[in-house]
Amino acid sequence: MNQIKYLFHYKKYGMLRYLSHLETMKMIDRALRRTGIELKQTEGFHQRTKISFAQALPTGIIDLAGLFVVTTFEEIDVSRLKEANKLCPRGCEFVKAEKVDEKFKLSRFVDGYEFKLIFLKEPEDASFDIEKKGEIWIARIFRSFNSSIPKNGEYGQFLTIRSQAITGGAN
Amino acid sequence: MNVLKKLVNVLDKVQKPSRYIGGEYNSVRKKDSKINLCLVFPDLYDVGMSHFGMSILYDVVNSSSFASCERAYLPWLDMQEEMKKEGIPLYSLESYRPLDKFDVIGFTLQYEMSYPNVLRALKLANIPIHRNERDDTYPIVIAGGPCTVNPAPMEEFIDAFFVGDGEEGIIEMLKIINEGGNKRHKLEKLSTIQGVYVPGISEKASKRFVSRMPNAPTAQIVPYTNTIHDRGVVEILRGCTHGCRFCQAGMIYRPVRERSYQEIVDLSRKIVKFTGYEEISLLSLSSADHSQIKELMSHLKEIKNVSFSIPSTRVDALSVELANAVSGVRKSGITLAPEAGSQRLMDVINKGITEEQIFEALKHAKNSGWSRIKLYFMLGLPTESDEDVMAIGEMLQKVKKMGFKNVSATLGVFVPKPHTPFQFASQIEPEEAYRRYKLISWAHKYAKINFTDPRKALIEGVLSRGDSSIGKVIEKAEKKNLVFPDWNETFNPDEWMKIFEEENVNLKRISASKDVKDVFPWDKIDVGVLKGYLWLEYQKALKGTLTQDCRNGCTGCGVCQRFGVKNVLAGRKAPDPLKVSVEKVSGEGI
Repeated sequence: MNQIKYLFHYKKYGMLRYLSHLETMKMIDRALRRTGIELKQTEGFHQRTKISFAQALPTGIIDLAGLFVVTTFEEIDVSRLKEANKLCPRGCEFVKAEKVDEKFKLSRFVDGYEFKLIFLKEPEDASFDIEKKGEIWIARIFRSFNSSIPKNGEYGQFLTIRSQAITGGAN
Repeated sequence: MNVLKKLVNVLDKVQKPSRYIGGEYNSVRKKDSKINLCLVFPDLYDVGMSHFGMSILYDVVNSSSFASCERAYLPWLDMQEEMKKEGIPLYSLESYRPLDKFDVIGFTLQYEMSYPNVLRALKLANIPIHRNERDDTYPIVIAGGPCTVNPAPMEEFIDAFFVGDGEEGIIEMLKIINEGGNKRHKLEKLSTIQGVYVPGISEKASKRFVSRMPNAPTAQIVPYTNTIHDRGVVEILRGCTHGCRFCQAGMIYRPVRERSYQEIVDLSRKIVKFTGYEEISLLSLSSADHSQIKELMSHLKEIKNVSFSIPSTRVDALSVELANAVSGVRKSGITLAPEAGSQRLMDVINKGITEEQIFEALKHAKNSGWSRIKLYFMLGLPTESDEDVMAIGEMLQKVKKMGFKNVSATLGVFVPKPHTPFQFASQIEPEEAYRRYKLISWAHKYAKINFTDPRKALIEGVLSRGDSSIGKVIEKAEKKNLVFPDWNETFNPDEWMKIFEEENVNLKRISASKDVKDVFPWDKIDVGVLKGYLWLEYQKALKGTLTQDCRNGCTGCGVCQRFGVKNVLAGRKAPDPLKVSVEKVSGEGI
């Protein structure tokens, strides 16, 4: 059977930001299983889908730039993805699934991430790139792949959002 | 009260916040129902979400036309503290509604050690704990589950207990409560339902039975948290008729009702589809008993990408065979429960197995590639002598010498339970338990022996066979923050002993052996099995005489004759119940 490698882009928001990385992985695995799409499994007796996730997020952060790679035995078109989204709990959404090369590696694909820190009062750290929007202040920061992620409240921020993945690297 | 808004301020501060966020896949938010029930499992989410009974009732109620069912669990201590600080009451995981906004609160009482947790849950919900302090403005508080067979210790707190299979009863109860009227009126009407015991109104109550396996939930809630049993569940049979004399489940869940293998396979397929679970547990008290277990195992193999597990505890070759079938190549550990070390004592408890069979099963396990083995034993069973205790050590030694790499044994102190033949038996005191335990300290070199604190068994014994005066103890325990007593990190036996002393609990009297003529606090609950039958079984136990499994011939316990039910086997016809006149088995005679 033909194997196809897919790069999934997903969002995780609302109450689901309180899932740990492991819980997120499990939640996504089970959502994919419910679709009935035939997915490559890991070796060994206990059933697990072979999924590679990009960099883990600490609990509490909203993720608009989640990425993972799976191998399927069938095409996933837009309508299939739409169906899959109906099988996700509220707060989890597959944005797109793109075919990638067999040798595709997330660690080479992602250069880093942009984070948005939401403040309810003007932040003290002046080194941020800050924008005021109504009653809140939004600071943007960039972190390279696999470097430390701003923890919730670390800078006195009210909320942390992983807003986008910066890609275009060596793949 | 906007719970959600306030939750945002606390969820970043607690461990495993996913326990508290709700909205899990397949959870049901049913709006505009005439009557709203919140089921509460009085323990941590991780434990409660692993319990299948609540999943059944959730499905039954939410499938009804008029009622909704939501869920709540007892938050861990860190979350309780944050909730108090923030002014968040205990809320449901579907609509984030405070519990006091529901019409009915339903607790499941699965183990006695959760009693203080029930009171804590009510307090967190700002609901008075005593039933007589709750007027018409508060929800009606009901309770179900195995512990209701002795409602006495909890009867100051619960408005109505439901004893037995709840699938039909819960709907009948909700209908009556929905009809309106004041609380007293509702409770009086509830007391007329079979299975319901209303403290202060009912004099007696009989258990409720469903005659065959009812419909089962397939769109089961999928938790985010790593719960204790994080998998789909198919209940393959209910009840167990081996007749082990210590076992409460084996007495109060009679008769046996099996689901056909075709139905089990069908349910399994649906569960995989609706949940995405990668594992399904075949639930029962004794899976190897299923009359179609061979057909079942071969057909389950056809379901792809899912593994099956069996909570197997019997020690026979077939159970090992089953464990082999579900475990595939990765044979890590197998758990078996001989319960006693000597043949004599195994006969006393009516285990219905010989030492020879046990070692045959063990040999089979060894040959099939199992390297780790875990054995369960009880200490302090009726008539136990020092020789019987030594026999546990000898068994461990023999098992180790068979070549198992890793042998571990769990030793718990036997707790006599209501509505079992051993309800008449005495419970050994903690000092005596330690003495017996030390008799096999030489066996530590053959097995890792875990000895459960015998004071835990003492507390459990008091809560199990206690009367209504024990309510005071439970109340005090909650006040002293002795919640989650089943968890090692929160178990504080010294404080419990203090409470027993302060409340003048007569431990000797509760733990002592009893006579058939004694009146028990739980006599008012009729679970079907006759007290006279239990007494006869106890007498047979003392003589070491065996009683057969009633699937091979009726033993006259009274359940089938008195409640018009019988064993339902999927693969063959079960023998008919003995024709005894109802007068003879009415329970008054013997």
